[in-house]
Amino acid sequence: MRFRVRPLSVLTVVAACAVVAIVLLGYHANRPDEAPYSTYVVRPVEETGAVNRVASIYLNYRLFDSVLEVLVFFVAVLGVRHYLGTRERTAVPSLAESEVVRTSSALLFPLAVLLGVYLAALGHLSPGGGFGAGVIVASGALLVSISLGMDAIERRFSLGTIEWVEQGALFLLLAATLLPLAFGRAALTDVLPKGRTGQVVSGGMIPVYNALVGVKVLAGSWLILRSFVRHRGEI
Amino acid sequence: MIARYAVLAMLPVVAFVALTQRRRLAAIIGMGLFSFLLAVAYLQLHAPDVALTEAIIGAALTTAIYVLAIRRTGRLAVVADEAPGLLAREGDRVVGLEHEILERFAKHLGLDLSVELVPYQEVAEQVRRGEADIGAGGLVLPPDVPDLFTRPYLETALFTIGGAETGEGAAPPMVRYDGYFAELEIERLDGAGRPITLDLARFLSVRVPDEAVVRHPERRGYSFVVGQRRSELHTELEAYLDHLRETGELDRLIRRYVV
Amino acid sequence: MAFSVGIVLLGIGLVAIAIRRDLVIKLLALGLTNAGSILCLVAIGDRPDAHVPICAVCHDVLYADPLPQALVLSAIVINFAILALALVFVMRLVEQYHTTDSRHVEDLVQRDLDEGGQQ
Repeated sequence: MRFRVRPLSVLTVVAACAVVAIVLLGYHANRPDEAPYSTYVVRPVEETGAVNRVASIYLNYRLFDSVLEVLVFFVAVLGVRHYLGTRERTAVPSLAESEVVRTSSALLFPLAVLLGVYLAALGHLSPGGGFGAGVIVASGALLVSISLGMDAIERRFSLGTIEWVEQGALFLLLAATLLPLAFGRAALTDVLPKGRTGQVVSGGMIPVYNALVGVKVLAGSWLILRSFVRHRGEI
Repeated sequence: MIARYAVLAMLPVVAFVALTQRRRLAAIIGMGLFSFLLAVAYLQLHAPDVALTEAIIGAALTTAIYVLAIRRTGRLAVVADEAPGLLAREGDRVVGLEHEILERFAKHLGLDLSVELVPYQEVAEQVRRGEADIGAGGLVLPPDVPDLFTRPYLETALFTIGGAETGEGAAPPMVRYDGYFAELEIERLDGAGRPITLDLARFLSVRVPDEAVVRHPERRGYSFVVGQRRSELHTELEAYLDHLRETGELDRLIRRYVV
Repeated sequence: MAFSVGIVLLGIGLVAIAIRRDLVIKLLALGLTNAGSILCLVAIGDRPDAHVPICAVCHDVLYADPLPQALVLSAIVINFAILALALVFVMRLVEQYHTTDSRHVEDLVQRDLDEGGQQ
């Protein structure tokens, strides 16, 4: 590696090492013997109906956090589309040059959809959740666009459709958080029956939220990827 | 047990190696590998949801959008340093004789033109490494020609200003300066004084009156450079330049931009 | 140990942002910084010999703390979207100034500002 050693760079590296060392020393010196772990694990599972404790936290106890994160995601997607929208190629043929890549990419898409639906539907029973599900299907769709070309996809699922899906999912998500108000409960609470622990149909609103978040993240990620594929610019 | 520490210990190493790469593509792929290792580390930390999400986002999507951002399909990638009259920034556009030639060439090939400004010394380097298709920007044909330089399309001469360049001896004069021409311009016009050898276009731009000037008698020329493995591109470019010469278009362009 | 590795990654990422000149590499380093912080958070919740926090009836066995994992899960996805937006800004910057070298971009911006002031 060829570096031109500049005094300011050396200073930066030394300062960073010093800060890292100080933080590490401080952490190890002051770490309590019994760390303050949260008590979410010991709560009875009937409170939320979710065997996956992580899901019970971000889709029940701390739902507002997830909803606002989805909102941030939405704004980021808006930003990407706005700034990349001005220079788009009119025609985007398949990106892959070899026949093997084209064929095999398309074969992986059904697997991706299956995996995504599984993760979203069983997010309250095993690891997964709506966020991962949406992203997996979106990357599967990217594979299809590599294989068939973006134009072929957008003839089937036009941009307007995807926009409706994205905004619809966000709207339904927000409506679902306000739904309890109709039943005289506070917003963001879980109003569906929790069902029998361990069943697929259980966990109250958690599978619903998983599905809505999954759809929203899928549509948003696809819009981001689509903008990047269509962009004709220079770096 | 060893596996747990091995994965965690590899993480900073992989990250360091990935971020100290010179080629952008290598760094991107390195960070994709890093994300994958990180997902394994999350599994060891008993966080399967996080591991799954990190694997798909870091290794797949993030790598995908970076590669999409720097991809050069459908583009003719040119690296160059600024040279007044030949290839220079004006606002957010690039103008000049070479730029016009390359733009027409790109259109002839059915590609978009993209110009990236890099320091003069790096132009041939990047073309050699395959990071760009064509090198331009007032390149003066050096005596030894390891890469595929085209035949010169325009004559020029070399000038040394500010006294004789030290340590030259019998070596032929070459255009050689560090960094970007824009920096050199500013430095020169502020009166900094190291002797330096430049081609005609750049020399005219940074010349300060009452400064010692030595004009080298050998005839030199401006060329483009194409990587060694791109011989078809080289042939196409030579053919296109010949075509411009024959139709007289090259002369018209020279008259418009340079004279 | 995972916490320490996370801090080290954070440090490497910050130094790389400061030192490397290429804008795309700076963004990659920013992503590394994200990864380092997230690793720290997840590591805090981990206990030796813990179990994965998925249990119907959680006995006296130790479980890893699910709270940091939950906080971090959506953060990973959002980081991706924000990084995409940052990449878009870098692409626009490169379109404007035709270079990915951050120092050269600064010089060019300064030059444009000076010229704008003189007009």
